[in-house]
Amino acid sequence: MNHEHVHDESHEGHADAQPGGLASERRPGELAFTIVLVAFSGFLLWEAYGISGFEALSGPGAIPMATTFVMLVSAVILLFKAARLKLTADETFMVDITPPLVLVLAAFLVVYGLLLKPLGFLPTSALFLVASIKILARRSWGFTITVGLGSLLLIYLIFRIVFSVLIPAGIIPEAEIIQFFRNLFAGGA
Amino acid sequence: MDAFLAFFTIFTHLELLLLVGLGTFAGVYVGAIPGLSVTMAVSILISFTFSWDVLPAISLMIGIYMGGVYGGSRTAILLNIPGAPSAIATALDGYPMAQRGEAGEAIGTTTVMSFFGGLIGIGVLALLAPFVSDFALKFQPRDYMLLAVLGILLVGSLSSGSLIKGIFAGAFGIAIGAVGMDPLTFTERFTFDIPLMRGGINFIAVMIGMFGVSEALMQLHHVNKDAVRQQINRIVPSFGTIKKYLPLSLQTSSLGVIIGALPGTGGDIAALMAYDHAKRVTKNPERPFGEGAMEGLVAPETANNAAVGGAFIPMMTLGIPGDAVTAIMIGALFIHGLNPGPMLMIEKPDMFWFIVGALVCANFFMLLFGLTGIKLFTKIVEMPRAVLIPLILLLSIVGAYAVNNSITDVYWMLGFGVIGYMMRHYGYPLGPVILGVILSRLLDDNWRRAIISEREDLGRFFHGIFTSPLSLVLFMAVVLIFVSQTPLWTKFRKKESS
Repeated sequence: MNHEHVHDESHEGHADAQPGGLASERRPGELAFTIVLVAFSGFLLWEAYGISGFEALSGPGAIPMATTFVMLVSAVILLFKAARLKLTADETFMVDITPPLVLVLAAFLVVYGLLLKPLGFLPTSALFLVASIKILARRSWGFTITVGLGSLLLIYLIFRIVFSVLIPAGIIPEAEIIQFFRNLFAGGA
Repeated sequence: MDAFLAFFTIFTHLELLLLVGLGTFAGVYVGAIPGLSVTMAVSILISFTFSWDVLPAISLMIGIYMGGVYGGSRTAILLNIPGAPSAIATALDGYPMAQRGEAGEAIGTTTVMSFFGGLIGIGVLALLAPFVSDFALKFQPRDYMLLAVLGILLVGSLSSGSLIKGIFAGAFGIAIGAVGMDPLTFTERFTFDIPLMRGGINFIAVMIGMFGVSEALMQLHHVNKDAVRQQINRIVPSFGTIKKYLPLSLQTSSLGVIIGALPGTGGDIAALMAYDHAKRVTKNPERPFGEGAMEGLVAPETANNAAVGGAFIPMMTLGIPGDAVTAIMIGALFIHGLNPGPMLMIEKPDMFWFIVGALVCANFFMLLFGLTGIKLFTKIVEMPRAVLIPLILLLSIVGAYAVNNSITDVYWMLGFGVIGYMMRHYGYPLGPVILGVILSRLLDDNWRRAIISEREDLGRFFHGIFTSPLSLVLFMAVVLIFVSQTPLWTKFRKKESS
């Protein structure tokens, strides 16, 4: 246990007043990230040029070209800076940047997005909450299901009933159920 | 004068009063729970309240904003984890105080001082904003453009991070804001011939992704961290303590209002600058800074709450956000058909006075909730992250979906969540991205107006800048930000301080 890796929170950037990252060393993946930024900015600049070219200073492409140019220049400067720094020896990409939990939860989110339309909000969210709480808390199934479904019910009541947010119904006819209860109360009053 | 009566609207309408109270209560806890930030809460909330009337929606958001800026201090003191970005400096001396068994005193003083700072901020807003908006009528399009650029740059230059990363983030935001049909010429911009992109990228999806999803993913690094319980004694501070720190709190409140009023910079930067200020001016603290100095607690807490009132000044008078939260509120006002800026102050001054009233009300609620409910508080804050993180993610998804009932927005949100997560890891500030998105349209419109009025001539454009005192000041401020980053300037500063 003594050799357990210590994750330094100060690299995470809690606020804009103190953004994360390392100033004197390069974090794992930073070089690749900066290269992606350079390529992305270059591509956007090319796209921006395609909007109206150098036709007029007041053209629709003027500000897009100016901003993407600024993006490209700053990304290139950052690339040179990052390339000159030494890679930190204290961190690895799979532990400090994208640990397995982050990848798993990100995958869950993608699956959530795919299932939301066909299954509907309630079943998808129930699956998502139970699965992620189980993986994160590593407690019994009883705890996981009670907490997961309980909080889902609370969220549903608050947002569906109080805020009247529309959500994909999917396989559960929840609008009909709500209407049934409304009629019940309206009839009883 | 009639408009001023709107100040009392909040106090005479029970429903609105309750919403501000509810918002402040929620804000204190949102601010206190690490992983939930005000920016996140307000950006998720905007999607849920957009079908409401404007007054209730604004009441709730103002409550959350005021409560949230304060709430972070409690976790900072009790757990050494700043619950919100604006409480980073509070932990430096607050936690050592708690370790000495003075948590109650620390919380009590923090609350009263936050209240005090908040009132000063609101006072300055009420007195100054009408003048600023009169003055703002004289602003030329190029002045708006320069002000927007200045706001985006300021975050990067006043923070401890890299200005270049701030510039990249800001430019990225402006580019995101430009996606879709150009409103003047109906030319497609960055749409890649995909029909769905013509309507642009929903800024709420960008905000929820950047502040909600990225934070939740970041919190996964600390799922198993246990909270440390602290003993809490008497919480209401003595009059003597308050009186003693009043002069310092006046200074740091003023600093807070100014930082808040600068476009782009808000409570988090104000708090850190106020802490530095307190360190400089306090000659003989009872305890050294970092070991439980009361001054180190008073300074950031007055400043960050004073910055709230300050941040509303450019938002209400110029339509330029004072910080990330006011950037989101501008979005909320847009959704409700209001266009913040000098014209809003002239056409709907009652809206301004209503907001001032709501802020005052939220400030009193903050004092009330700050001095009570400590038992409930410790329970809520100890909510395990293993449950909290999935809930934040779920709320983010519901929020992004609710805006347009569109799955596409959910995908945008997830995408920006991942981008925001990576940007944070590598030290890119996220505030400038949101400012860029919100200010993109204003920047674009005003640039085109300015250059057309100068007959597309850059020489005339710069001649205009150099012959108008206001434009010149703004232009010099932008130039100064760049000069302050050059090696020459750093050398000069070093020489001066030695």
